[in-house]
Amino acid sequence: MADIVVDAKGLACPMPIVKAKKAIDSLESGQIMELHTTDKGSINDFQAWVKQTNHELIEAKEDNGVFKFIVKKG
Amino acid sequence: MEKVPLITAEELHRKMNSGEDVVILDVRNETDYNDWKIEGKKVRSVNIPYFNFLEEDEQVHAGLPKDTEMVVVCAKGGSSDFVAEMLMEKGYKTYSLEGGMLAWSQFYHPTIVYMDEKFKLIQINRLSKGCLSYAVISEGKGMIIDPNQKVDVYLELAKQHRFKIEHVVDSHLHADHISGGRQLAEQTGATYYISSGEVKDTNLKFEPLDRHDRIRVGEIDVEVLAIPTPGHTPGSTSFLINNRFLMSGDTIFVGGLGRPDLGGKAKEWAMDLYDTVFNKLSDLPDDCLVLPAHYADIQEINDNGIVGATFGEIRENNEIMQNADQEAFTEQVASAVSMEKPPNFEEIVAINRGELQVDAEKAVELEIGPNRCAVHHQG
Repeated sequence: MADIVVDAKGLACPMPIVKAKKAIDSLESGQIMELHTTDKGSINDFQAWVKQTNHELIEAKEDNGVFKFIVKKG
Repeated sequence: MEKVPLITAEELHRKMNSGEDVVILDVRNETDYNDWKIEGKKVRSVNIPYFNFLEEDEQVHAGLPKDTEMVVVCAKGGSSDFVAEMLMEKGYKTYSLEGGMLAWSQFYHPTIVYMDEKFKLIQINRLSKGCLSYAVISEGKGMIIDPNQKVDVYLELAKQHRFKIEHVVDSHLHADHISGGRQLAEQTGATYYISSGEVKDTNLKFEPLDRHDRIRVGEIDVEVLAIPTPGHTPGSTSFLINNRFLMSGDTIFVGGLGRPDLGGKAKEWAMDLYDTVFNKLSDLPDDCLVLPAHYADIQEINDNGIVGATFGEIRENNEIMQNADQEAFTEQVASAVSMEKPPNFEEIVAINRGELQVDAEKAVELEIGPNRCAVHHQG
């Protein structure tokens, strides 16, 4: 179960990552954030962002046009 | 809060052309940036992904110039607004490119190549993709060669230079961009030509170029000679005006030759390319200006803002063209082909063959990215 779920559906770039960043800042290391986005452009950006931070991308999947990312805070 | 000033693609291009240095801060992620970016001879481009600015770390923007104006660019204009505004608050002089790379990909710039009392030749440069199309105008009549998707550009050009579009041609079946040919012909009542070899086994409505070795534009003098120039594709056709201007499609570029592999028959098509370059076009005079459908590098834009070179210059500078031995040539051309293909080229070919229909938004999205139709010099 995620510790926090960020609903960024319908939001355009850069909002999905802005919201994700805020949310993950509120977590403790090891806790889980789940992000939902419908902005295709933010998919690559989100993965690039996670990669360069110390967080870990646990899962990325698409469900009916909604992209779901599960990230563990580093 | 003060709103960040926006700059349109057209204004940015004017700024790039004005001779002043332009600093572009591209805030897309590194992969997208490395794949495709705004280039210009006097452009200094920096890539810092927008999400780095979320860290509120002074180091992120410490290297950026405070005294020079910067144009912030992203994919669609959202993140560039965000970053530009943030930097503006910190005392930087920033603009945000309205509509981002999406808008840049839709920007076309016309330049007059040649003009006398009899005819006018205009090159239309779509800078984001290095795609070139042409308008041949005489006596109020015109022919458009290799129009791109945004047909309004050509309609506007026809209005501005007062000509009626009578002929629309595609030099070949394009793999890197969606042709505007059929749509432009439909909207203007012009005839749409393409070589029948390019679109065989499709239901496309077209006038076979192979049945016309000449197309007359205007009342007098300007005859466009269609020369089959296979190599990039089997039905590639070049157009010659008065032995002086060769619209070479994707066969011969200023700095290279058309890649022969996009149909999966690299060696076979490379042999066609050899025949085209060394036999068919060998009689053209050295002072004939070669005007291709693409360029791969902004250095190919000359001081007059035109992409083109005389046959003499190309013969002299293009290493591949000096390899007159057929076997060595085909070997070199086939092996020089890069693994990187134009983005989405299979879908784009299907659209250009009339086999796939997509909505306007999807069409624009498919075209985003660089052009990769040339075989470059191999050192």
